[in-house]
Formats: sequence, C-alpha cells, structure tokens
Amino acid sequence: MDKQEKEFVEVWEDNVKIKDLLIAMLLCIGLSLGGYILAPGEAPQPLIFGLCGGVIGFIISSVLIKPKRKITYLEEEE
Amino acid sequence: MDAMIILQMILAGIGGAVLYTLIGIAPGTDETAVLAPVTIALALSGVSPYVILAFFISAIVAKKLTDSIPVAVAGIPGGVMAAPMVEHAMVLKKHGLPDVSIKKMASGSVIGTLVSIPASFLIANAILPYADVISKHAGLIFFLGAVFLALMTNNKILSLLIIVPFAILIQGLRHLYWGLEIVPPETTVFVSFFLGITIGPIVVTLFDLLNKDARKKIPFLGKKEISVKKSDKVKGIPNPFNILTKKESATSALGSLIGSVTFFLSPVGMTVFLGEFLTRHIKDPVKRASRAISTMDGLTNASYISGTLIPLIAIGLPLSPMAIGPAAGLFNAPPVFTPEHNIHHILSMSEIMLATIIGAVIALLITFYITIKFASEICAFVFKYIPHEALIGLFAGLVVMLAFMDAGWINIFGTFLIAFVSGILFRNGVNYGVMFMILYAAPWMLGWF
Repeated sequence: MDKQEKEFVEVWEDNVKIKDLLIAMLLCIGLSLGGYILAPGEAPQPLIFGLCGGVIGFIISSVLIKPKRKITYLEEEE
Repeated sequence: MDAMIILQMILAGIGGAVLYTLIGIAPGTDETAVLAPVTIALALSGVSPYVILAFFISAIVAKKLTDSIPVAVAGIPGGVMAAPMVEHAMVLKKHGLPDVSIKKMASGSVIGTLVSIPASFLIANAILPYADVISKHAGLIFFLGAVFLALMTNNKILSLLIIVPFAILIQGLRHLYWGLEIVPPETTVFVSFFLGITIGPIVVTLFDLLNKDARKKIPFLGKKEISVKKSDKVKGIPNPFNILTKKESATSALGSLIGSVTFFLSPVGMTVFLGEFLTRHIKDPVKRASRAISTMDGLTNASYISGTLIPLIAIGLPLSPMAIGPAAGLFNAPPVFTPEHNIHHILSMSEIMLATIIGAVIALLITFYITIKFASEICAFVFKYIPHEALIGLFAGLVVMLAFMDAGWINIFGTFLIAFVSGILFRNGVNYGVMFMILYAAPWMLGWF
C-alpha cells in the first residue's frame, strides 16, 4: 500500500482537497454567472445559458479533478 | 391535456430518474440542496407545470430508491434521510449480506411509494374542506410551525430566540432592496434567501478551512476508504413482493401509511422513531435489521411523497418539512409560482394525480430495475469518476447565479450574509425547518411592529 498524505478535509460527508474545491467552485460559479450575464436573448434565455454554464463547469471539474476515494473491491465470500 | 404534454411528462420522468439515480448515490447529497435549485430553475425557465411535477416526483422516488445504496455497499449515507439506516445496514453487511440489504431497501421504497400515493390523495381530500381557513391564516401557521419545530431542536432556547431576529434579517434585506430600487416593490426576493439557508452549513465549513487558526483544529484525512462488494447477478425482472417476506411487506406498508398521515412532522424523526418502534420486538439481529431497513426505506419514501402531495393538492401552501424544503420550487418560485398561484392552483386534482403517477411509475421501473441489477457497478462508477468537489461547485454556481437573477450583484452578498448566519445557527443547533418556517412567516411577523 502506498503511503497516503493526509491532505484532505471532510465537507458534506466526503473528503475533498481545499485547492481542488476552490477550482471547481470558481469554474462553476464563473461559467454559470458568466452564461447568465452574457446570454444575448430575453428571459428565460439567460437562465438556460447559466444552467448550461454550470453543467459545463461540472463536467470540466470532473475531468480535471480526481475523486479522493479509495475503492477496494471485495469478491464474493459465500 | 394533449399527447405532446404527456410525452414531455414521460421524458421529464426519465430524465429525473436517470439524473437522480446518479445524484442519489453520490454520498452526502442533501435533498433540499440537490432538488430545490433544479426544480426552481425548471419552473423559472418556463417549463410546463405538468412536466415539472412529473420530473419532481420521478426525481424524489429515484433519489429515495438510490440514496440507500451506498449505505448498503459502503456504509456511507447517500443523503441525509439515509443516515438512520446506516446502523441496521451495517449489521447486514457484517453478516456478509449487503446485496440483501440493497434489495430489501429498494423493495421497501417501492412499497412506500405504492402506499403513499393513494394515501396522500385520500388525506388531501379529507383536509380539503379546511383549506380556505388554513390558507387565510398562513402567516400565523408558519409562525406556529417555526415555534413547534424550534421546540423539537437540540437548542430550543436559541431556536426560539432567533425567530424574530432572523425574520428581521430577511425582511431587512427585502426592504433595503426595495429602498435602493433594485427590485420593484411588488417583487419579494425568496429563492436566493431559501438557497442561502440551504447552503449555510457548507459555507461556514468552507470559511473554517480558509481560517488558519481553525484549520489547525480540523482533522486532515487521507482518501476516503470505500469497499465495494460485487453483487450477484439477478436474473429476470425483480419483484419487490418476492424479495420481502410477508411480515416485512406488512410492516413497511404500515410504516408508510403512518408516515403519510404524519406528513407534517420531520421525516427523519419519524423514520428513526417508527423504524425502531415497529421492529423493537424482533430478537434475531439479522431479521430485525432487514425488517428495520425495509420499513425505514418505505417510510422515508412515503413521508417524502405525502409531504409533497398533500399540501400541494389540498392547500397550495408548503405546510410540511418536505414541501418547505426539497419541494419548495413547486409552491414558490416567483414570478412563475407564488403562494397564490402555483401548481395547486394551475393543475386540477386529477391532473396532479396523472403527473404523479407518470413520474412515480417511470422512476420505479427504471430505478428499481437498475438498483437491483447494477447496484455495485453504479456505485463504483460514481465513486470513481464523480469528484465531490465538482458537485459542491455545481451547487455553488447555481446559488450564485440565482442570487444574481433575484436582485443583482448586491444580492450575491445578501445571500452570502443569509447563508453565513444560517450556517452558524445550524451549527448551534437551529435546524433547517425552523429557518425555512421563519422565511415564510417573516412578512406576517413584522406586521406586528
């Protein structure tokens, strides 16, 4: 087993790295608010752009950031 | 109602079921935080109320079916409501039976759904004659609700004392926005304050992390260790009534019925209380645990569905913990839905019933099947590829955007203020229910002075 550095904290019952969390929050807030403000049309278009921005932010952060979970598989014992 | 709307309702049901099957599994996702913003956003973007209701019902059924999966597989609750089940699921896991607990919980959920939908319509019909009286005194009822919920919290004195100050904070911000002419006088800022309360605890935790002194006290951890058990393949289409024993079916049906009748009480409280009460007499630990989890899962499902449907059908005001939290978007998402004009007023009872049944049936078909067949695979996928940071980021993004939409830049700070105050109150034992009730009662209460 590799030596694990203790660099994560628990937020909402799961472990996160503070730096990664800030990156994800900035990305999602930036893209959703940006989408809302920059949308060219009338309501409800800004909201739709904003929601899409948020989802894109979510996808980018999912690709950039590795989950901090260590999964072990147990084989069938019975 | 034409075929197009029904088709849209079916598609919305499928979307809700798939989305919330994944979200349900992600650990620690709070129901209000994940359901309310999405429902509110759908309402505000002009989606038909029929479609929103079908989506919402499908989403809660799916989420309640799946949030118990990580409990069984890994011992971590997939949501606040799954927390009381951890202890019993661990008993089964210790005896090498996590598959059994997934199946029992999912089947309990199915029974909860099947019992609570008709029960909700019956109860709603019984309340209907008093609906006018109730809605005429809504402000008073929300205030009494806040007092009642305050008496149920761990910190009763603070919860009672904070009712008026917290109402002042909310109304103060609203009057400030009106005074600065940021919003027109007929607009009452609601959604962003609501979400501010929801994300309060997490905001306070985040700022603890940025504080050097506080950071020294926080335990730094390694990776979260999760062991996933490969499950047996199930052949054919699973039948919940074969999975549960007769006694288990009966107790979960009874639990679900009681859960529907007590729709105005705290679902977590009822789940813990009834789950223990109905199974206390069983001696064999494995039998007791499997009876308890099937009953609890049925009950949480039932109290969620009835907590949404009964106020929605009978009154049109969010008068249950469920309606005031996760389902808030169906009652109040101004300017589209207001307490005087929401799904209760727009849809007839049979239309509400139709949308509910479409949503519930789709979620049950998709999610129950997936849950029983691929529980460990989905868990592994979510645990492996969805970082927790991205989920928190997404909700932060939604809240900031909706705050800006409500009342511009100043409201991002206003919502932050509410979030921070709520988070600190939450940490000191004032629960969500009290704060949500105050949010609704605030305009009426400040009429006293």
